Order: sequence, then C-alpha cells, then structure tokens
Amino acid sequence: MKTVLQLLVCFTSLFGFSQTQITGAVQDEFGQPIYGANIFIKGTYDGGISDEKGNFKFETTASGAQILQISFLSYETLILKITIENYQPKKYILKENVNTLDAVVVSAGTFKAGDNSKTTALKPLDIVTTAGSVGNIIGALETLPGTQTVGESGRLFVRGGESDETQTFVDGIRVAQPYGATANNLPTRSRFSPFLFDGVTFSTGGYSAEYGNALSSVLLLNTINEPVQSQTDISIMSLGVGLGNTQKWEKSSLTFNTGYINFAPYQVLVPQKIDWNKPVQAYSGESVYRRKFKNGLLKVYGALDYTTFDINQKDVNFDAKRSIAIQNKNFYLNTSYKGYLNDNLQLQTGFGFGYGQNELNLANDLLQNNERALHYKLKFRQTITNRIKLNFGGDFFHTNFDENFTPAASNRFDYGYQNNMTALFSEAEIFFSKKVAMNVGLRSSKSNLISDYTLEPRVSFAYKVAENSQFSMAYGNFNQTANQDYLKFNTHLDYEKTQHYIFNYMYNKDKRMLRAEAYYKRYADLVKYDGNLATYDSNYNNNGYGYAKGIDLFWRDNKTIKNLDYWISYSYIDSERDYKNYSKEVTPSFIANHNFSVVTKYWVDQLKSQISATYTFNSGRPYNNPNSADFMNEKTKSFNNLSLSWAYLVSQQKILFFSVTNVLNASNVFGYQYANTPDGNGQFQRQAVTQPANQFFFVGFFWTISDNKKTNNLNNL
Amino acid sequence: MTRIITIITFFIFSVITAHAQYEKGMQQALELWKNDKPTEAIAVFERIAAVDETNWLPNYYIAFINTVQSFRYMNDKVKVKVLLEEAQKAQDKMNRVALDNPEVLVMQAMIHTGWIVYDPMVNGQKLSGDVMYIYNKAYQIAPENPRVVFQKASFEIGMASYFGQDTKPMCAQLEKSLELFANFKPETPFHPTWGLDRAQEELAKCK
Repeated sequence: MKTVLQLLVCFTSLFGFSQTQITGAVQDEFGQPIYGANIFIKGTYDGGISDEKGNFKFETTASGAQILQISFLSYETLILKITIENYQPKKYILKENVNTLDAVVVSAGTFKAGDNSKTTALKPLDIVTTAGSVGNIIGALETLPGTQTVGESGRLFVRGGESDETQTFVDGIRVAQPYGATANNLPTRSRFSPFLFDGVTFSTGGYSAEYGNALSSVLLLNTINEPVQSQTDISIMSLGVGLGNTQKWEKSSLTFNTGYINFAPYQVLVPQKIDWNKPVQAYSGESVYRRKFKNGLLKVYGALDYTTFDINQKDVNFDAKRSIAIQNKNFYLNTSYKGYLNDNLQLQTGFGFGYGQNELNLANDLLQNNERALHYKLKFRQTITNRIKLNFGGDFFHTNFDENFTPAASNRFDYGYQNNMTALFSEAEIFFSKKVAMNVGLRSSKSNLISDYTLEPRVSFAYKVAENSQFSMAYGNFNQTANQDYLKFNTHLDYEKTQHYIFNYMYNKDKRMLRAEAYYKRYADLVKYDGNLATYDSNYNNNGYGYAKGIDLFWRDNKTIKNLDYWISYSYIDSERDYKNYSKEVTPSFIANHNFSVVTKYWVDQLKSQISATYTFNSGRPYNNPNSADFMNEKTKSFNNLSLSWAYLVSQQKILFFSVTNVLNASNVFGYQYANTPDGNGQFQRQAVTQPANQFFFVGFFWTISDNKKTNNLNNL
Repeated sequence: MTRIITIITFFIFSVITAHAQYEKGMQQALELWKNDKPTEAIAVFERIAAVDETNWLPNYYIAFINTVQSFRYMNDKVKVKVLLEEAQKAQDKMNRVALDNPEVLVMQAMIHTGWIVYDPMVNGQKLSGDVMYIYNKAYQIAPENPRVVFQKASFEIGMASYFGQDTKPMCAQLEKSLELFANFKPETPFHPTWGLDRAQEELAKCK
C-alpha cells in the first residue's frame, strides 16, 4: 500500500494534475507589440509564441521557482526568475540587441579593413590589388583621404602630421621600426607583407585611449587567426623570389616565409636616375605560430631582415657625387594572447621586441646606430551589460637608442637616450540604444625623461539618424615624446601635444559608402632648434606650435556597374606650423593642400582577370627658396600619377601579375634641395628632389601548392 | 527493498517520460517545419535545446532552418544577415558538443556557403577555402554519408564550372550519393535525412 501511494505521488509530480496557465505580452522599447517571440519555461517543453498583438498564452506542468525565457531575433534575450504558483500576467519589454550589424558604430576618424566590420572602407584584399601599391600596405592607405603622398619618403603622413606621428601596432603591440632601411630621399616601404593580415584599422585621429605616444594616427594590423589549410606558396618576381609554407594542425599552425630581393637585373632593364654601386639586396624571413586554447588564441610572430645597398647621390653642396652605403639588420618578435577568463571578461596581453641596427657610410664618414624597443601590454575587457563594456589596462614601453658618428680622420662621438614609459588607460563603450553610442576614455602616461604625467581624455559619440546614415564626433588629447632625431642629442625635451576635434558623417548602403569628415587639430610644444640641421650642438626647445584643419571625402561603390569596384578620395587641408628651425608659422614642405585619388578595379570574367587603375593628383607642395626674402613661399608643380595593374588567374592556383606605375611618365618634383652657401654670384644653387625612376614595372608569378587543389588563389592577388 | 524498487521505478518513469516529451517535441517541431512554419518550429527547437545542451540535434535544425530561410530571402540583405548570424549561433553550440560529427560539419559549410552567396566578391575569396576544408574533413570521417558526398560534390561543381574545368568526377560523386541516400539509416528518426530530392535536381543539371 505504501509503495502504491509513493508511486502515485511520483505520477503526480511527473504528469502534474495541476496545469498552470502563463500569459502575458511582449513589446519593444517603444511599446510596439512583438510578433513571433519565443516564450518558454527553461528546462521544460512548455512554451508559446507571441501573436500579432504581442500576447502569449501557454500551460505548464512545472511548479515552484522556474526561469522564464523570452527571445526574439535581433533582440536581447530576457531571462526572468518566476514562481509558477505566484505568476501574474505581465507586459515584457525586449530591448534591441546593440551588437547586431545595423547598430550605430563610433566611427569618427577611423577606416577599417576588417572582416564583418561595419565601418569597412577597405577590405584586406584591396591593399594588394590597388594598382600602384605594389604590395605595400602604405601605398594602398595613401589612396584614403587624410593622407599625403610624400613620394620621396614613402611613409604615412596624416592630416598635417609628420610621419613619426603615426604609430604602428601588430596585434595590439607596437612596432618600433615599421619601415625598411633607406637613404636620403629614396622612398621606403612597410616591412610587413599584406598577406599576413586579415584586419587593418587605420585611424586618422580621435582614436581610443588604448593607444598612445602618437600625435596624429595609429595603424592597427591584425594577423590572420587561422590559416585555411596547409600550403606552399612560391613567388617569382622581377625583383626576387619568395617561398612560403604553412602547416596547419588541429589546434595550431605554423607559417614560414622567406624572401630574397635583388634589384640588379631590374636596373639593367630599366635605367634609373640613381647611380648604384651595389643595388638593393634584401634577405628576409618571417614566421608565425598560432595555437588555439579552449578559451583563447596565442600568436607568436618573428621576422628577420637584412638589407644592403650602396649608391652615389648627387648633392648640390658638392661637385662630385657622394657615396652612401647602408647595411640594416632588423629583428622583430611579437607574442600576443587573447582569450576569455570568463564569459564576461576578456584578457589581451602581449610582448613585442624590436631590434634595429644600421651602418651608414656617408662618403668617408661612418654612422652607426642601434635601437632596442620593447612593449609590454595588458588589457582587460569587461562586459558589464550587453550595452556597457569597459576596457582597461596598461602599457610599458622601453626604447634604448645608441648612435655614434665618426667623421673622416677624426674622433668618434657617442650619444643616445633611453626612454621608459608607463601608461594606464581605461575606456567605457556605452550604447544608449541601437541609435546612440558613446566611448569615454582616459589615458595617462609617464616617461622617465619628463617629470610630468600626461592626462589624455578621449571622447567620441555617434548618432544614427536614419537607417543608413549616422553622425559621429570625437575629441581627444594626444601626447608624444620628441622625435628620435632630437632626443638622441637632447633628452630634456617635453612631450609634443595635440588636440583633435572631428566631425564625421557616414552613409552606408548596399555596397555604397560615403564618408565625409571635417577636423581641426591644434599642435603645441613642438620641438624647435637653431642652425641648418638638428645636431649635437643645436639649441633645442619646445616652443613650436601649429594647426591643421580640413575636410576628407570618401566615396566607394561596387554596385552601380557590374564587376567594377571603385573609390574616390579627396582631401583639403590647411595646415601651418612653426617648428624645427622655421622662422615663422608656415605650411611645411610635406603638405599639399589638395589631394585627390581614384582607384578602380574591374573584373573581366572572360579573361579571368582583374584590371586595376589608380590615379593620384596632389597640388604643389611648398619649399623654401633662400634666394627669396620670404620663408617657404614657393610651390612645386602639382603631382600626377596613373598606375595600372593586371592580375590574370591562370588557374585556381596560379596568378600572373603585371603592374606599371606612372604610365603617363610624368616628371614629378617633390621639392628642391638648396646649397648651404651661395655661389660666386650670391645665388643659392638647387637640385630637384624627384622620383628614383619615373616608372616602375613589376612582373610576378604566384603559385600556391596545396593538398586541396581547389584553393582559390584570388586571395593572393 | 520496496524503497529501492520505488526509486528505480521512479527513475525509469522519469526517463521514459522525459524521452516521450523529447520525442513529442521533436515530432511537433519537425511537423511545424514541414508545414512551412519556420518561426514556430524554431521556437520549439529552442525549448528542446535549452533542456539538454549536450544534444546537438535541436540546434542542428535551428541552424538548418535559418540557413534554408536565408537562401529564400537572399534579396533582403538585412534579413539574410540576421538569419545567417542566428544559424551560426546555433552552430557554435553544436560545435562545442559535436565538432567532428559529419552532419554538423556539413551544416557549418552550408552557413559559410550562405555568406558566399550573400556577398560573393568578399566572402567567396575568404570562405571558399574554408568550405572545401570542412567538406574534406567531413569526407574523411564519413565517406558514406550521403549529405557529405552530395554537398561536397555540389560545391565542387560550382567552383569547377567557373574555371571551365571538367565536372564529370563530381557528377559521378552525385550519382554515388543517390545510392548512399537510398541505403542511409539515420541513428534515430530525428537525425537528418534530407537531401535526396536536391541531389537528384543537381544530378539532372549534370546531363
């Protein structure tokens, strides 16, 4: 009898004689009913769906404390504790999920080339396929507004800032020596192969508190998380050869790339304006190891590079050409880990070490230097709610620079500096709704060279006005320790400072994008010195100042014409500064007021080819003519460049690539170098600073070998 | 003794009841899907998924229905994005409990294919390698699974015909998949069985 009774109790609890009815209604934040929301008691099969009026009704056999879950596409799931016996019908309000793709995004100042990023302006592939970029990341970025094409440098110049005002980060870790070795007025290239990255974020101002010691801009490069497959890549180019191999295992992968570049055969075919004793030769090797853990990803990247060349350069101060020989050794190691400590806390940490060594023989003088640069970073990202995220962390930067100079038949000078910098940062990302978002951050850093702490507030705000358009604003304070060229002679220099004000409008609809941005930048405490050149006996101070203001426009469209993808950039800039040895506030020589470029890429299906053209126009750049009484009062002719490239897909695994820069053979002049002293007639003689060769031809054959013959080598275009 | 019997009886009963409820739920959900009520079907699958997180089947159908729906609404870009993201969310849950299951792998490849169709210019280049990798992996694990063979061949046909290559070997694979479909025995009545009609359609294009 007892057993029967117990069994009965069991049945009762299992099948439940008492069914409870659960009713209610589901609405959005504006009181509109939500149709089709899924309402159920978690852990049971009991539930219902809301009707056109948002009402729902279902019966449950569950009892006691339960969890009621309400979910609907692109809304935040609501999880509520209820007690079945005490349940009262209720109205439930679902909030829109701000993490969906159509939510507002804080975009002032930023260009992203990422995966599914909402502000994507350039895709990773675009970098390689832009005609004229010749596989150089910087070349492609120069087709974006806000940058200046400074042909004799090859570095990134952003919104009236010098090239060293941009810092480069790989997987969040600083790269101290991002550019290859070069000599006076010969353009350099980025050290990094674009094939390594699947995400590029280029900020032209107003960037996050996570990044510092950069006055104008940050370039954030993210390496590929997981290669697709094991493969071998062979490239045979007019300038050298490359070999790469990737091995992929279940949880980890290893990539090796080696390259050898030699300009000698090219110089025989295409005469150069430069008189080479020994053309550029470079050996490089890089390796990436990635390992997935249960909740994170570790990446180790290492690169070695050895470059030499020897040229004779004409110098207006001397009758005979002067020889310059360079030997550069560079090593870079970057280790980063990103992972989740728990569902809401993300850890990102990394360590970077760069070693650069240069030996320059200038006629009979010898200059040697080496730089050791280290960066350690620790960052946390705490998800407080779906709408509030907090980033906080710290950086430690160490730079040790030693240089010595031995003039012909004279004693050796030794000088250099050590800079240890610690920084803390914190930034909150707040979504008020799917339409309004804000980032508020603060960064503070301290260098051992300077007694003061910096305080750098950063604020940005975005408001989505319509389905496809939004406004953003950004404000920020930025500090940077003085340029290496000055610090090595004088370590008593203060931070250089700038403030950014940015106003941005973005329209983004179905493969068409318009981005318009106006900015104002104020510079203070720029370094000044006296004399012709910055040397050990110059007097240095921080009395310089300046400003930059302008408008950047960007339009991209790959919809209107089938198979044609194009973008147009225009920047207007007005900028003056009194720095270096300037006698007054003027526009510096690297700034052209108008910059315009058009990039087109056309895919011809029948030919299996992508044909690309890039046209760039810059108005004239200022230079100083010492024969005239006015300082920096003359301008060069405008700059024109039309580049073409053709990529032909021979088969899925083989690509043939041709490219020519400056098809129209324009003789562009970047500026003039004047003699230090006047000649017999009291005139200062000059020489033009020009392109090393008017045109550059490139032919390459790229071949991927993999077990899987179906790999589409278009990736590597 | 009676106590132990009672407990065992209770235990067996609750297992049976839970199983009966599961079967009822799965049947109901599949029925809803068959009657073209995707929202309702997904709602039921979601409830089942919340009961037992180690069972990948309900999430499989959530991913499947969302992916199939995305192909249906391919012109509505916003909707496709939402559907494919929902599919991937369910897929992520499956990947955690049954990463090497051939059916789960095929589903992942189908979601990727959805993204490729959504934006061929961008995603085609990025994801087609992944898709092939996944199909190859699935094929190594289960060369006799009809959906693995059919989906893999079907994707390869798409690639080969673009490059003007011979599609004969893939068509032979399609042919083989028909045979595999005929002999396929699902583990339970709720395991995936779909694909025969679509494989036949694909094969018809071969000739």
